[in-house]
Amino acid sequence: MSLPVSIIIIFSTVLLLALSGFTLRLRHKYMRRERELETARAALERAHEILRGRVEELEGGGAVASVRATVRQASPATDIEKLRQRVEELATRLSQANEELETFSYSVSHDLRAPLRSIDGFSRELLIGYAETLDDKGKHYLTRVREATRRMSELIDDMLNLSRLSRKAMRRTSVDLTAIIEAVAAEAEERAEGRRIEWTIEPELRAYADPQLIKIVFENLIGNAVKFTASPSGARIEIGREGDALFVRDNGVGFDPLFAQKLFAPFQRLHGNEFEGTGIGLAIVQRLIHRHDGRVWAESAPGRGATFRFTLGGAEQESP
Amino acid sequence: MSRILLVEDNEDDIELTLIAFRRQQLANDLIIARDGQQALEILHGTPSRPAQPLPVVVLLDLKLPRRDGFEVLDAIRAHPHTRLLPVVVLTSSAQERDRLKTYKLGANSYIVKPVDFEQFLEAARQIGMYWLMLNTAPPDPEGNGHAAAAP
Repeated sequence: MSLPVSIIIIFSTVLLLALSGFTLRLRHKYMRRERELETARAALERAHEILRGRVEELEGGGAVASVRATVRQASPATDIEKLRQRVEELATRLSQANEELETFSYSVSHDLRAPLRSIDGFSRELLIGYAETLDDKGKHYLTRVREATRRMSELIDDMLNLSRLSRKAMRRTSVDLTAIIEAVAAEAEERAEGRRIEWTIEPELRAYADPQLIKIVFENLIGNAVKFTASPSGARIEIGREGDALFVRDNGVGFDPLFAQKLFAPFQRLHGNEFEGTGIGLAIVQRLIHRHDGRVWAESAPGRGATFRFTLGGAEQESP
Repeated sequence: MSRILLVEDNEDDIELTLIAFRRQQLANDLIIARDGQQALEILHGTPSRPAQPLPVVVLLDLKLPRRDGFEVLDAIRAHPHTRLLPVVVLTSSAQERDRLKTYKLGANSYIVKPVDFEQFLEAARQIGMYWLMLNTAPPDPEGNGHAAAAP
């Protein structure tokens, strides 16, 4: 073995040792960083859990979105304590916002109703007590005043209802959907007074959901299906599951798909006065589906019926 | 004497209630208190003026100036003279917490004032009918033989 070769061997051994020492140190450093990351991640997760709990209790909307955005943006390197404080602070603000909302709902229900009663009451007194002095046009205007009053009263009730359902505590459990749907369908048919409706309801549908809230979802979707199939040809309403989504399908008037997204905005109506209602039903449906971490969408073409589909999140927790 | 004490601050509501009771020929039976303090003075009297005979029922609004409906109800139940007096809460509020609170304080009934005036008239008719004709007043809790009784 020549000298240069041994030198090379020694040199490379030293180099190898040095390198492996370096890698070990690097590895050690990396592992420590990884542990730090892990701790940070766990803390973040805890913070996220706490926050989720708060959010569950509180009203949705801008404040919640802001908290969610904060949690999403936070990198593991963020100072956890700072983040915790921020979460606390936002939770407090959410709680305040919720209280303000309560007060607002209260004031709406009490203070806005009182003047409506006066408008309706005195209009009626004019119509009846002064029937002889009023001409037909005068009576017609007063009737319009009373009609508008009734409508405003409905809108207030609907708004309060939407706000109440958004705040109502959720209790998810394994639910016999078919039983709920059948009960809702029976009630809807009774209200439809003798109209012929052909129902197809999938048996043994189950979901992990809040039974009361999911019932309200079906009341609105089935109620709409019944309402918008009021044609002489006979209504067909089908409820079942396709893939991950539950659906309610009807053969009614349908809607222009251009407006499919608008459907779910409160008080948004795509049809004229030939169909009654304030346009709150689908807004309620969307809120309730969102509260179940799901999504809802609709498909239709004018005159070709409509299909409403929705998913429910958290299905992995569904008990067998 | 069969009388109804209406505790209400909203002049429109007072007038509409009067219209409704006039329809039932009951307007003369209505005494009006425009705030909670005044209601309690009518029921419990003041140092300068003794309490008037008790009405058969109190129709109590919740949102009132000075002392609100909850305070009035609480004071009615706390006073030996009026602790059995029938109190009907008549309010615009359909809030669950108001219902709970007033029933806990001992309200006998809770009626949400309908916005629709036809329904309001009907509610007034039934209230008048029930409390003035049908219901029998409680005996005086102090055992003095209560003045108010069904005719």
